[in-house]
Amino acid sequence: MNSPAKSAITKPPKSKAPPVTYLLATVALLSLLFAFPQIVDSPYTLHMMILIFLSIILGESWNILGGYTGQYSVGHAAYFGTGAYTTMMLMQYAQVPPWLGVWVGVAVAIIVALAIGSICFRLRGPYFVLASIAAAEIIRLTALNVKSFTNGAEGILATDIPPLKLGAILITDFSSKLPFYYTGLILVLLTILMTWLVQHSKLGYCLQAIREDQDAAHSLGINLTLHKNIALIISAAFTSTAGSFYAVYIGFIDPTSVLSLDMSVQIVLICIIGGIGTIFGPVAGAIILVPLSEALRSNMIAQGLFKAGLVGEESSIGIFLKDNLAHSHVLIYGILVVVVILFMPEGVLGFISKFVHGKTRRGVS
Amino acid sequence: MTVFLQSLISGILIGGVYALIGIGLTMIFGVMRVINFAHGDIMMVGMYLTYNLFTLCGIDPFASVVICIPVMFLFGGFLQKIFINRVLNALPQNQILLTIGLGLIMSNTIMLIYTSDYKILTTSYSSGSFRIAGISISEPLAISFLITVIITAALYWFLMKTDMGQAIRATAQDREAAQLMGINVKRMSVIAFGLGTALAGTAGALITPTYYIFPQIGSTFTLKAFVITVLGGMGSVIGATLGGVIIGIAESMGAVYISSGWKEVLVYVIFLLVLLFKPSGLMGKSRM
Amino acid sequence: MTILELKNVSKFFGGLAANTDISFSLEEGKIIGLIGPNGAGKTTLFNCITGFYPPSQGQILFKKQNITGLQPHQICRLGMARTWQKVRPLVKMSVLDNVMVGALCRTNSLKIAREIAMEQLKVVHIEHKTNMPAGGLPIGERKRLEIARILATNPELLLLDEVMGGLNTSESEEIIQLILETKSRGLTQMVIEHDMKAIMRISDRIVVLNSGEKLAEGTPAEIADNQEVIDAYLGESHA
Repeated sequence: MNSPAKSAITKPPKSKAPPVTYLLATVALLSLLFAFPQIVDSPYTLHMMILIFLSIILGESWNILGGYTGQYSVGHAAYFGTGAYTTMMLMQYAQVPPWLGVWVGVAVAIIVALAIGSICFRLRGPYFVLASIAAAEIIRLTALNVKSFTNGAEGILATDIPPLKLGAILITDFSSKLPFYYTGLILVLLTILMTWLVQHSKLGYCLQAIREDQDAAHSLGINLTLHKNIALIISAAFTSTAGSFYAVYIGFIDPTSVLSLDMSVQIVLICIIGGIGTIFGPVAGAIILVPLSEALRSNMIAQGLFKAGLVGEESSIGIFLKDNLAHSHVLIYGILVVVVILFMPEGVLGFISKFVHGKTRRGVS
Repeated sequence: MTVFLQSLISGILIGGVYALIGIGLTMIFGVMRVINFAHGDIMMVGMYLTYNLFTLCGIDPFASVVICIPVMFLFGGFLQKIFINRVLNALPQNQILLTIGLGLIMSNTIMLIYTSDYKILTTSYSSGSFRIAGISISEPLAISFLITVIITAALYWFLMKTDMGQAIRATAQDREAAQLMGINVKRMSVIAFGLGTALAGTAGALITPTYYIFPQIGSTFTLKAFVITVLGGMGSVIGATLGGVIIGIAESMGAVYISSGWKEVLVYVIFLLVLLFKPSGLMGKSRM
Repeated sequence: MTILELKNVSKFFGGLAANTDISFSLEEGKIIGLIGPNGAGKTTLFNCITGFYPPSQGQILFKKQNITGLQPHQICRLGMARTWQKVRPLVKMSVLDNVMVGALCRTNSLKIAREIAMEQLKVVHIEHKTNMPAGGLPIGERKRLEIARILATNPELLLLDEVMGGLNTSESEEIIQLILETKSRGLTQMVIEHDMKAIMRISDRIVVLNSGEKLAEGTPAEIADNQEVIDAYLGESHA
C-alpha cells in the first residue's frame, strides 16, 4: 500500500549485519518448528502449539493497530467473529471450502472495519476504547439475534470440511492436527513478516508518530484518517483470518466464543503482557499466556500441587481446587495484566530486555 | 396506552438502579479521571455479598444495604490505595487495562468460589406486584427504586452541603487547584473510589431479588454504566442520574416495541450516536 | 512577494472570540514577529493558519492559494510547518526517527529520509544524540529537535511558537542564531515570542495582538514607539 519495499529492507547504515549465530539460530528454530509434528506426535502438545500460534497471530494483528498506531481497540472480537462466521456460514450453507471462505471473510471484515473505523476514529483516548467496545457488542448482539443466518446462541457446528488438494497431496482428515499445525505456523510467520515490513517502512514511521502524538504527526504532514484506516485494515484482515482458522479448527462457533468482550480483552492482553509495539512482544505474550491458562483449564495446576505434596488430593482444599480451578482459567489473565501494568509497563519482553541490556532498546534502527 | 405507561414506569424504576451505577462510575471518573472497567464486577461482588447475607444470615436483601454500603466502601478504598493510586498518572489505556484486570480477578475469584452456576435469591415478595390505576408495578422494583431515591438524595446532600462533599467536587473540577487550596487530594480520591464502589455494590444488592446472580454478570453492567455516564456527561452526577433513567426507559420501551433481543442494540446505538454528536453528554462540559 | 495573507480571520469558541477580524500579510524571506499579552490569541491564530482550527470567518491564502479549511497535513505538504508552544517530541522514538518522520513528508524512501534527517540534525547541532529516545532530551535540545523536524519537511514558511520559552540566555542565543541562519537560506518565518529583546532584534516586521484583535503592525522601531502597544503590552511586562 505504501512505501517501496526495497528501501524498507535496506538496513540502517549503523546497524551491524546480523551475526551468523543469529541466522543459524533462526534457521534451526524454523526447522525445529517445521519438524516438530514429526518429533512429537502427542495430539495434546500439537493442540497447545496450535493455540499458541493462534494467539500469536491475534496478538501481532492487534499490535499493528494498538501497539504501533496507539489505537487501543477493545473490540477486535468483531473482526475475529466476522472471519469465523463468514467462513463457517459459507461452508455450512453454501459448501464453499474454508480456504476460499477465508478470503470472503477478510473482505467482509475489512468492510466492517471501515464502518467501525469511520465512527471510532473520530474519537480519542478512552472514548475510542468505549466506542470500539460498543461497536463490537452491536455485532455480537446482531449475530445473536439474526437467528436465520447465524443460528443465534446455538452457534454453528462444522459438519464436514471438503477435502483439500494441494498438488499431489490430498488432505481429507481434518480431525488430525497436522494441517492446522502447518497452516497456523505459516500464518504466524506471515504475520511476523508483515509486522517486520510495517515496522521497517514509511508506514511504520507514520503509525508510530500517530501513536506518540496525533497532533504533532498531523502537523508533520501525516494524514491521520488514512493511516489509522490502513492500520485498521491490516489488523482486521489478519484477525479475520485467525477467526476463520479458529472456526475450522475448533469446528464450532457461537457468539460467546468468538464475538464476546472477553475475546477482545484476551487479544489485547496477549500484547500487553508480552510488550506492545514490538515484533516479538505478542510471541512472548502467547507463549506465557496459553500454557498457563491451559494448565489451569486442564487442572494441571491442581494435579501439580497434589503431586508436589503441597495440597492433599483428598483434603477439602484439594477437592475444591480440583473442582473449581478449571473454571477460572481466565483468572490468570487478570492477575498477569495487573502485575504487568503495575510492575512492567513495557511488558514481559521489555522487562527482560531492560534486565539484560541495562536499558530499553527500541525496535526501529 | 396502558402498555406504554406500563413500560415507562418499569423503565423509570429500573432506571433508578442504573442511575446508582452510573453515579458511582461518574464520581470515580470526575475525581480521578480513571475509567473504571471493573465497575460492573464490583456490582457483582455486591450481589454475592447480599446473596451470602441472605442465605447464611437470613438478612433481607434490601436490609442488607446497610451492611453493603460500608463493606463495599472499604473494599473500594482498598482497591484505590493498593492498585488505582499507582496508575493515576499513567496512560489512560493502562488505567483501563488495570481495571479490566481487576474485574477479571473479581469475576473469576467469585467463579472459583461459587462456580459459574446461576443463583436465584427468592424472597417472599420477589414476584409480588401491586396495581395503581391499572398499571402493575413489581414490588421488589418499587422498593429498590425507593431506596435508590433515598440514597441519591443523601448523596446530593453530602456533595452539596458538607465540607468533604465540597472538597470532592473541587477536586473533580480542578485537581491541581484543589491541591493548592489545601485539599488532601489523595484522601478525596480514596473516598471517591470508596463511594463509587459502595454505590455500585448497593445497586448490586438492590437487583438481587429480580436478577439472576452469576459471576459474569458484571461486563454487561460495566458497559451499561459507560453508556449512562457518557450520555449524561462524564463527571456529572446529575447527568448520570438522568442518563440512568433514560437508559432504563429506552430498554424497557425497546423490549416492548422492538424486541427484547434488540433492546441492547438500541442502547449501544444511542451510545455511539451520543459519542459522535454530543460527546460532552447531556450535562457535561468537556470531552476529555 | 507575499507568501501568506490573512483576510479578516476570526475564530470563535462558542460565544467567545479568540481572534477577531485579523488581516496582515507576510513577505517571502522575512521574519515576522507575533506578540501580545497572554491570552491575546497568538497560538489560536497559529492553529487557524496551520489547519488545526477551521477559522470561523475570513480567508487564509498561502502562496496565493486559499488554504482555509484544509487539514493540517495538507497544509504541511504545501510547505508550511509549525512548532508547538509546549514541545511535542515523539518521546519513545529516537531523535533521528523524530526528524525522519518530518522528512518522510517529502519522500517515500527511508534512506533519503535518513540522510535529510541527519543533515537537519547537524543544522541544529544535536547530531551526536541521534539514537537517543527523544523523551530523554533536555528542554533546550527538545526545542531544537522540533525545529530540525519541521525543517526536514522542507517548508517555505515556518511558524515558531515560543521556541525560546523556558530557555536560558545562551540557549536562547543559539535559537536566535538558528532562526537567522534559516532566514539567510531564504525561508520565511513567523515567530511568537515573549522575549521582547529577541523579537525586536530578529523581526523585520511585528504584528501585535491584544484580546484577539490586531492592535498594531509595523517595523520593530515603529512598534517600540507605538503608545497603544506600550500601554497594552510593553508597559505591563516592564512593570
